[in-house]
Amino acid sequence: MISAKIVLIVSLVYFAFLFFVAYYADYRRQQGRSLLANSYIYSLSIAVYCTSWTFYGSVGRAATSGLEFLPVYIGPTLIAFTWWFLLRKIIRISKQQNIVSIADFLSSRYDRSAILGAIVTLFAIFGIMPYIALQLKAIAFTLDLVSTPLDPVLGFHSFAPKLPPYVDTAFIVTLVLGLFGVLFGARHLDSSERHEGLVTAVALESLVKLVAFLAVGIFVTYGMFDGFSDIFQRFFEQFPERRDLFRLGTQQTPYTKWFTLIVLSMMAIMLLPRQFHIMVIENSDEEHIKKAMWRFPAYLFLINLFVIPIAIGGLILNGGDSSQADYFVLTIPLSAGHPWLAMLVFIGGFSASAGMVMVSSVTISTMILNHLIMPIILKMKLEADNYAGILINIKRLGIVGVVFLGYLYFKIIGDSYALVNMGLISFMAATQFAPSFIGGLYWRRANRKAATIGLSLGFFMWFYTLLIPSFVRSGWIDSDILQNGPYGITLLRPLELFGLQGFDIYTHSLFWSLFFNLASYLALSFFLKQSETERIQATKFVDAYGRKVKPTQLKRISKAPTIMEFVELMSKFIGEKPAHQAISNYLGDREIDARGSLADHEIPNLKSYTERTLAGYVGAAPARIILENYLSTRGSKMEDVFDIFGSVTISHAASREQLSVLYEASQIVSRGTDLQKTLDDILGLLAQQFKFDLCVIRFLDEENMTLVVKSQRGMSSEHFGQSERNLNMDTYIGQAFLSNVTSVINDTDFLDKASSAQIIHREGITSFAHAPIIVEGEPVGVLSAFSRVVKGIFTDEFVALFENLAGQVGIAWRNDKQLQELLKVREQEYEMQIAKDIQMGLLPTNIPEMEEIALAGLCVPAHQIGGDYYDFIRRDNSIAYDLIIADVSGHNIASALIMAEARTFIHSQVEGLENPADMVFALNRFFFKNLECSELFITMFYLQYRPLEHKLTYTNAGHNSPLVWRVDEQRLDKLDAEGLIFGIKKDVEFEQKSTQLQAEDLLLLYTDGIIEAENNQGEFFGIERLGKLLQESEAMTPQEIIDKILDQVRIFTGLRHFNDDITLVVMKILR
Amino acid sequence: MSKQRANSTREAWVVCLILGMIMINFPFIHIFNNDRMLFDIPILVLYFFIGWPASIWVTRFFMKKIDQMEEENEDNSEGRGSS
Repeated sequence: MISAKIVLIVSLVYFAFLFFVAYYADYRRQQGRSLLANSYIYSLSIAVYCTSWTFYGSVGRAATSGLEFLPVYIGPTLIAFTWWFLLRKIIRISKQQNIVSIADFLSSRYDRSAILGAIVTLFAIFGIMPYIALQLKAIAFTLDLVSTPLDPVLGFHSFAPKLPPYVDTAFIVTLVLGLFGVLFGARHLDSSERHEGLVTAVALESLVKLVAFLAVGIFVTYGMFDGFSDIFQRFFEQFPERRDLFRLGTQQTPYTKWFTLIVLSMMAIMLLPRQFHIMVIENSDEEHIKKAMWRFPAYLFLINLFVIPIAIGGLILNGGDSSQADYFVLTIPLSAGHPWLAMLVFIGGFSASAGMVMVSSVTISTMILNHLIMPIILKMKLEADNYAGILINIKRLGIVGVVFLGYLYFKIIGDSYALVNMGLISFMAATQFAPSFIGGLYWRRANRKAATIGLSLGFFMWFYTLLIPSFVRSGWIDSDILQNGPYGITLLRPLELFGLQGFDIYTHSLFWSLFFNLASYLALSFFLKQSETERIQATKFVDAYGRKVKPTQLKRISKAPTIMEFVELMSKFIGEKPAHQAISNYLGDREIDARGSLADHEIPNLKSYTERTLAGYVGAAPARIILENYLSTRGSKMEDVFDIFGSVTISHAASREQLSVLYEASQIVSRGTDLQKTLDDILGLLAQQFKFDLCVIRFLDEENMTLVVKSQRGMSSEHFGQSERNLNMDTYIGQAFLSNVTSVINDTDFLDKASSAQIIHREGITSFAHAPIIVEGEPVGVLSAFSRVVKGIFTDEFVALFENLAGQVGIAWRNDKQLQELLKVREQEYEMQIAKDIQMGLLPTNIPEMEEIALAGLCVPAHQIGGDYYDFIRRDNSIAYDLIIADVSGHNIASALIMAEARTFIHSQVEGLENPADMVFALNRFFFKNLECSELFITMFYLQYRPLEHKLTYTNAGHNSPLVWRVDEQRLDKLDAEGLIFGIKKDVEFEQKSTQLQAEDLLLLYTDGIIEAENNQGEFFGIERLGKLLQESEAMTPQEIIDKILDQVRIFTGLRHFNDDITLVVMKILR
Repeated sequence: MSKQRANSTREAWVVCLILGMIMINFPFIHIFNNDRMLFDIPILVLYFFIGWPASIWVTRFFMKKIDQMEEENEDNSEGRGSS
């Protein structure tokens, strides 16, 4: 026993030391050399998890229930394994959203719901009460244990006898801890600012409690006993019947309970308000998580290492009495005559309790202020010039209030429970946050109503299955409800709800509370729809790692407040100095115009900044209400101005408005009228929808390599909108075109191209963009847009839309180009048609009926114009008939012209040149001159039939041999003569041959189109087939023969059209 | 290459987490749940107090590995940036 005075002095010195450390930490922070940059402090501060429940309760639990104390520390070790993913995401989100507590987190995730925040806060208060009570109980009890009161009857009152009788040790401790909380946690109002002093003090306390516990552990294990083995050996010798303490699956500790405790502690380490505060809000660097992930479990391991030795050592020393096992840690050194060790243990235990109470009370009072008090203040619309002073005092009052709630709980219920059981009630309450919390992190569809109802049901079940039995045990409620259920309904017995029997109270409670919580959460999330704003909030949480979503320029505020008015509003709630500080932070990196006010589009940003700043002090939901109320009382309204922007910016997928602009543009393009009109219409759409001052489309003029204005909309300026642009990298437009990348300038105050800057500044442009118009990967022009009013108009999403429009312009351009080409082709075709008509006109169309011979001819060009030619000339008085067949290589205009020339030549020379050889000779000379420079050549067969003599004279210039079917002799002859094709040599000797024909004989002239007609097996039609056809057709008229041959050739090739020109001439001798 | 490594680390991570879940729960711990002693200490107690630091070591190992990979990534991206 130590004199109470000494205990008090030592305690006071310790308090003073803690304060010193806390102030030092705050001082360092102001110096910019934060102690929290040290990852050890973060890891140690998380050990606020180990309260006096751990410090004293673990030993108590080990002594009475054996290994049951372990899962509460193994669970956190396991979940710490996931922190790099889970905790980091939570921290990331909280930093992004300026979140200040777990209630704020849940409320923010679910549409900034004020109701949800209030529900979470209420249950956090209920949940924390037993836990704080537990700490008070531990401190008060150990204080009485360790010190010798001056008067055993009066106890504490011997110090100050004038105090009223209800002021006992626990009451004093409550006051002290409340004071601690106020001093460490509520010196400023801003809760999103880290409490470095508080955290450092907590980390120090964690170190002290570990050292104290290890000290007593080593003292017991190695000082009083001879190591671990010795303790166990002696314990089993003395109490062989207590072997079950080190076994599981027993009556005392069934496996289900073991599992339940692991689940509870896994959730509690993340979701207890104080853990959330220390791990998330007070985190200064995400990298610290990596270290904490193993250091914190290592801490847990160390602090538990001596729990069993102390517990069984205490049992041995106390003859197996476990009634005071909760305080073995203290009583063993005391009874062993080591008061200073006991003092250290007391300080350690005090540290454990104080740390927890400080952090919890600050956290909970922040939640009370933000989620219970603020909404009420705002609803009542209290008139006050300065809320900041009131708010900070409410917060301080809240801290003391929370601690006193714990005191009340302790006074009313406390004595009936061991430490550990009171802790588990809190753990179970924190576990109810799990579905909404974890679901909110990963499940986009999870919605506000589902979370609200799930949480409410979970807490109701928690209250019913866990708190009511504890009330019964403390004698508050008649135990009848446990045995017979409320109103005698046995099905509703709190410990055997719906007939679920055979489980311990925690497993039973965990099952039912989570069952109702999770089931309603999942089902409602699945079936109910989210509102637009709710979806946006959900996305911010689920996609925390993704692209930062900035709903900028969504709206404009009419009758907007000025900057000063925003400052005044903030000062009301957070105090003048922080408000000015905040606004100067905001304005620091922004341009203010000459009148000292922000541009229109900046006001909404300032509004959301103000909201976020306020959220740091009062929470997200109240901040939103404050701003909305304020604006509505001023008559200000958020207006949709850049609505298209807004939605484009916010949504990840293309929004409806974005699509509608693109759709309209594509409609314009597909209408496909005049290109000029299409371009004008697209620019009109762009200018109208997005309020640009100038939109220009320029296309490349390939000859001069300049960009020439094709269409322009908006302000007209000789130098600006209408001028051509040279292609070089010195201008933004040239850069866009040459590098094929959109160049965007959101603020023309910052330009790096001097030549552009001059023009742009003269025209008063504040932002602009040039998007290359790309067709098949190549730029063909540039789409430009300029704004004189709005800076920052080109967000990433808008640039995407802008580029898309440029693409549409490209399509219009390409369509137009293709159309022009098509027209050109059509024109050529028309000319070809004329040429063909002329050419066909040159061929003998109607052959007169003659007495001596019957004649028919046909020319089928494969293409528009053919190179084949045949002719028939009746010489004077029918002395002779000249037959000509020729083939000019190629099927183009040139071949047609050559053919026409040949015809003209023949017709003009026919009088002078009597026989075929002469004619062909002359033709060759004529063509040699003309064909020399062209690549063409001509084959020709020239025949002359003299009916009186029945004599056929012929000359060949490289043409296919005509066939003669001699009916009398039933013989097929091929006519041939020596000769060269035209145009090769100037003077060529052409052989002239002659043969006799008789009545009924058939002569067939043809071009190679017939015999080279190919079937799908690659066979040619050939002379044989042609000759055979002729042979079979001896009774037919020439026209019939031609038709038959054509039919057969078509059948042979299987094609309706021929690949080459086909010309046939058939002559039949009549008499 | 490094992405592949990051993936395999992540997979090993999940495997370890699941293993951890199994190893601290019924029925796995039932193996040690008997009256046998080692150094006069019940075997179940030994199991927890040896397995626990081992699992902490595993976490530490993984974090070192992640640190290492992040450093490599930084090196890589720096190299790319300067080239």
